Amino acid sequence: MFERSWTDGLPVVPPTTERVRKMLEGTTRPADEIVVSVPPNLIECTVEKIAINAVMAGCRPEFLPVVIAALETICTEEFNMHGVLATTMSVGPIFVVNGPITLDIGMNSGINVLGHGNRANSTIGRAVQLVVHNVGGGGPGGVDRSTLGHMGKQGFCFSENEFSSPWPSLAESRGYNSAQNVITAFTGEGPRLVMDQKSRKPDSLIRTLAEHLISTVSSRVVVGMDAMLVLSPEHAARFHEAGWTKERFLEEITEMMMIDTDNIIEGSNGIEEGLPTSMKGIRLPKFRPDGLLLVQAGGTAGLFSAIIGGWLNGPPGSEPTSKEILL
Amino acid sequence: MTNEKVLLDPTSESTPSERSLSERPETMDGLTVGLLDISKGRGDIFLNRLEEKLSDSGIKILRFKKPTFTKPAPIDLRHEIASKCDAVIEALAD
Amino acid sequence: MIASTPFEDAAQKQADALGLDVARVFVPHPVQDRTDEEMHEMADLVFEKVLDTLIR
Repeated sequence: MFERSWTDGLPVVPPTTERVRKMLEGTTRPADEIVVSVPPNLIECTVEKIAINAVMAGCRPEFLPVVIAALETICTEEFNMHGVLATTMSVGPIFVVNGPITLDIGMNSGINVLGHGNRANSTIGRAVQLVVHNVGGGGPGGVDRSTLGHMGKQGFCFSENEFSSPWPSLAESRGYNSAQNVITAFTGEGPRLVMDQKSRKPDSLIRTLAEHLISTVSSRVVVGMDAMLVLSPEHAARFHEAGWTKERFLEEITEMMMIDTDNIIEGSNGIEEGLPTSMKGIRLPKFRPDGLLLVQAGGTAGLFSAIIGGWLNGPPGSEPTSKEILL
Repeated sequence: MTNEKVLLDPTSESTPSERSLSERPETMDGLTVGLLDISKGRGDIFLNRLEEKLSDSGIKILRFKKPTFTKPAPIDLRHEIASKCDAVIEALAD
Repeated sequence: MIASTPFEDAAQKQADALGLDVARVFVPHPVQDRTDEEMHEMADLVFEKVLDTLIR
């Protein structure tokens, strides 16, 4: 299978007829239903093709609806998977799953949430990437031109620690209710740690987070790229215990990340990169409205959070995209 | 008993059909060439120079621009180019 | 199409996938940090090749 270029470089589970048949039991959708048109070659893809790749990735049948929904998010004009593949930047699709299904299928929202070790987290993202490679024809060295890439491009999927938090989940913030199973795709790079082990007050911790977020992707890029902040339980508790709402958090951090463009004009501080000189003398926000996605996840011990920088947003780039997961 | 197993094909299993390019003219007389800027940085400077030199060669140039380099050209743009030009040069991908 | 040299194989793969063997000309890389003068020189460098692709 490796020699046929069917894999992502790692061993895969051979997709025998029996295994694929069992995988298809994970969904009520017919095997011959065409679900998406997969970039970059825009090939129509059936539920069965997705099931074959899900077997190879090591998925269990109950993960299949999530894999299908994940593909439904990225094979859209708004997500722009072709652009995400073809860019030289180090980004790939990152999936956040919300809703009761995360418990039903045993996803991980806790310790090592952005790492390895959980079958659902690891294989759902991997299955999606295998479909893009095998069906869509997108793989490294071909249409995928990422200069550096990141390991999450093998598959990056996790669930949110939503059930014990007073704040609405990512899906709820995006208009869904807590009973719905939802997957959100975000184009992002590898996670970067934010360390703050001393701030006990939310007013202090939020400044640490703002200070780090302001340099996301580049300290000289404003508005044009989004980011995801993964707030760990211990950090989130600083805000919950002080009675902050998610809305207040986002309003205050947005205000803290207003940037004087004089400091990031090309040539300023001896740096050739930067905004054109025509943009001198104004203040701009680091992120566009709703450009910072906040997700709560991680182990209960550790005063660290993580930032995942994004790619170009809006019509020229990729939009975070959510879809309900149909069983 | 054989140990062979049948594996289902995870790929698209499709072979693209060969598409033919339009005939190339023998001379540049009366040729209209579209220059399609894919909207990556510095591409416009490159195309400006190409336009200058192609025009000096007697070729009529029409300029076009994709809204973004990250997506295929919109269908209306493609139709416009096809209807107005004999050939198109797309640049500059890097 | 015109692209910089690191994209030669990507262009070939896309051409194969689409079944469309368009004429391709490649310029030196990188592009993003070039001055206007360097971009003009780049266009001058490949101009004859570009002309060749337009006629039989």
